[in-house]
Amino acid sequence: MNRLHRFFRTPEAIAGAIILALLIVMALAAPLLFPGDPQAIAGPTLLPPFQDWSLPLGTDRLGRDVLAELFHGARTSLAVGLAAAAAALLIGSVIGTLAGFAGGLIDEVLMRITDAFQTVPSFLLALAFVSIVGPSLSVVVAAIALGAWTGPARVARAEVLSIRERDYVAGARVIGMHPLEIAFREVLPNALPPVLALSSVIVAAAILTEAALSFLGLGDPNRVTWGGMIAEGRAVLRTAPFLSVVPGIALMLTVLGVYLAGEGVVESTAVRRSLS
Amino acid sequence: MSELTISRRGLLAGSALLLASTALPTIGLAQTPKKGGRLIVAADSEPRNLNPAIVASNGVFFISSKIVETLAEAAFDGKEGLQPRLALSWERAADGLSVTFKLRDGVKWHDGKPFTSADVAFSALQIWKPLQNLGRTVFKDLEAVDTPDDLTAIFKFAKPTPFQLIRNALPALSSVVPKHLYEVGKIEENPANNAPVGTGPFKFAEYKAGQYYRLTRNDAYWGKDEPYLDEIVYQVLPDRTSAAAALEAEEIQLAAFSAVPLADLDRISKVPGLKVITKGYEGLTYQLVVEINHRRKELADLKVRQAIAHAIDKDFVVKTIFLGYAATATGPVPKNDPQFYTADVPTYPFDIAKANALLDEAGYKRADDGKRFALKLLPAPYFNETKQFGDYLRQALAAIGIDAEIVNNDSAAHIKAVYTDHAFDLAVGPPVFRGDPAISTTILVQSGIPDGVPFSNQGGYKNAELDALIAKASETLDTAARTELYKEFQKKVAADLPLINVAEWSFISVARETVGNIANNPRWAVSNWADTYLAG
Repeated sequence: MNRLHRFFRTPEAIAGAIILALLIVMALAAPLLFPGDPQAIAGPTLLPPFQDWSLPLGTDRLGRDVLAELFHGARTSLAVGLAAAAAALLIGSVIGTLAGFAGGLIDEVLMRITDAFQTVPSFLLALAFVSIVGPSLSVVVAAIALGAWTGPARVARAEVLSIRERDYVAGARVIGMHPLEIAFREVLPNALPPVLALSSVIVAAAILTEAALSFLGLGDPNRVTWGGMIAEGRAVLRTAPFLSVVPGIALMLTVLGVYLAGEGVVESTAVRRSLS
Repeated sequence: MSELTISRRGLLAGSALLLASTALPTIGLAQTPKKGGRLIVAADSEPRNLNPAIVASNGVFFISSKIVETLAEAAFDGKEGLQPRLALSWERAADGLSVTFKLRDGVKWHDGKPFTSADVAFSALQIWKPLQNLGRTVFKDLEAVDTPDDLTAIFKFAKPTPFQLIRNALPALSSVVPKHLYEVGKIEENPANNAPVGTGPFKFAEYKAGQYYRLTRNDAYWGKDEPYLDEIVYQVLPDRTSAAAALEAEEIQLAAFSAVPLADLDRISKVPGLKVITKGYEGLTYQLVVEINHRRKELADLKVRQAIAHAIDKDFVVKTIFLGYAATATGPVPKNDPQFYTADVPTYPFDIAKANALLDEAGYKRADDGKRFALKLLPAPYFNETKQFGDYLRQALAAIGIDAEIVNNDSAAHIKAVYTDHAFDLAVGPPVFRGDPAISTTILVQSGIPDGVPFSNQGGYKNAELDALIAKASETLDTAARTELYKEFQKKVAADLPLINVAEWSFISVARETVGNIANNPRWAVSNWADTYLAG
């Protein structure tokens, strides 16, 4: 309760939380407000926004409802962002914990692999992965996670290196716990908070990467994505700029919201630490 | 310094001058061709092999047709729709077994060697027939080319070959390359494929990957006073949206092949100093086609194919995807073809109820979720319009209970998936009609074509009657009888729907008003531009 209270003391955190809440409501409400296929042709083509109140944000080149696409796009963006971040955190913390706790050769091998992944720009990695395997939602998630797990892995390892010297870890050894059990039941939970602090950055980056992939035509073509909407609007940028601007603003607000909320969380935990 | 740099500042200075000159009254601007000047053109792809004798495609012609010439070019008002280039006349023997070409005198290759009938014979026998993507079909019965003198080439065919087909093939298929450069080594690996040498009005100067191709004036060109331009620069602008901006900023003077998106044309036509030209592509009609994989049991059923044809609103496609710059199609020959087209074919008006009834009849009832069956749909990635039509088709199929999943690929992967691996149910393709159904149209429905031949029947469709008709037409010498057979062909294709023709479209050029003699033949963008000039 106390932490929540502290979280809501900063205005950024409040703004971030509101944006995120709206986004989540959008994503959840999409199938209720706009049942059926959001890509169905709903009206005349290239209708500008605020002309027809049944199609408040207008229509695109094929006459599809931009608002419906925007709502359904929120689903894709959030799903990809959260799934990719969860996967990256999971892989990262497991590998980081193993490396940090085992030390020696295992540490060396795992960290060199991490180095190898870090030297390749993560977007390039995602691009190559998707273009080889073929675009679909799960592939996009895997591709983004592939480039994002290295940060959590390094942070987790650093934490584990300090935690494994603590007394309670030595105690666990003495009572004969299996090393893996110690690593994942005693050490990892305590190493997690700083790793989780990375999550907002990863979610934001994942949403952007997904948008960039869709923009380049490597998103799942059977789903509405904001990046795909921006790319489609690009052909008519001069005549119907709203087609790119509307999803662009949505994308910007989302990333901003995720980032602000993440900052708020970091801030509130930092305050708690300095208090203790 | 040999390197060409197009600096923004230099261009701005130049365009400021240009602006000053166009501010003066510009009456009679396009009357007298002016000599000199550099024409800067938008190029959206960078073909590596520039040899039009091997790769007869518009992307290659766009650049290399200025360097390497054909025996004849298409014309709006010439005899049989042709105007002479390297050949002055062509005549056939009564038995259909030979065609005699009289060649132009005094033509020199860019390296100074004289052009002779030996070059024609070499190109025809060593390149067009065995290597060229289109020539393989048209010249398959070419046995020998006799060269009684330097200016006569007699094509000898093993089987009677229709003269009409040969004539229709001349503009696109008869690029002549120099024998003296190609007779040593492997033709496919010849360095001249990347830096072509020809007889055309422009010489190949240089190519900088990702930047530009530069052609310079051939001072020894055979055309009197031609060419007018000193240089042509193809500025590589892979982003389709940047061509319009570059035209407005006067960084380029011409964007052909609809490099300016259709949606922008309305706006750009109002920009002073720019003109939108819809002519000059009559000989290059693209067809929007739904390719069907007949190996799928549902699609092997004619009723299902008819249902799909009824589910497509062709008028909507023309109006929204092509913004009116296209025509609805009735069959495999486009409406604008003067020789072969017939409107007397079965048609499939937009009718969802009928489509649903046909599917019910075929035994594919809707399941509880409203779906009948699922398909994989592969839209070709080459054009915005093919991709958009893919999106539209998915919706159109959803309306009749067919759940289509779109699979996007890049060009290479698409060609492999459709034409080699057959990993598709429906595909959206843009085949080209090249003035004669035998050149690149019958191949779309004919059976027995080996796997991997792009833009051919890879849907596993087999119709003995249609095959026989195609075979008969390919041997019929009489022009009228041959034309009749192709009308029959159109009827059969429209009735049995081996593929579904949706629309026919061509391209739009946008140019600065100073560019003269644009679009003066039906294949203008891929012709030699000897008479193109820059005024002002």
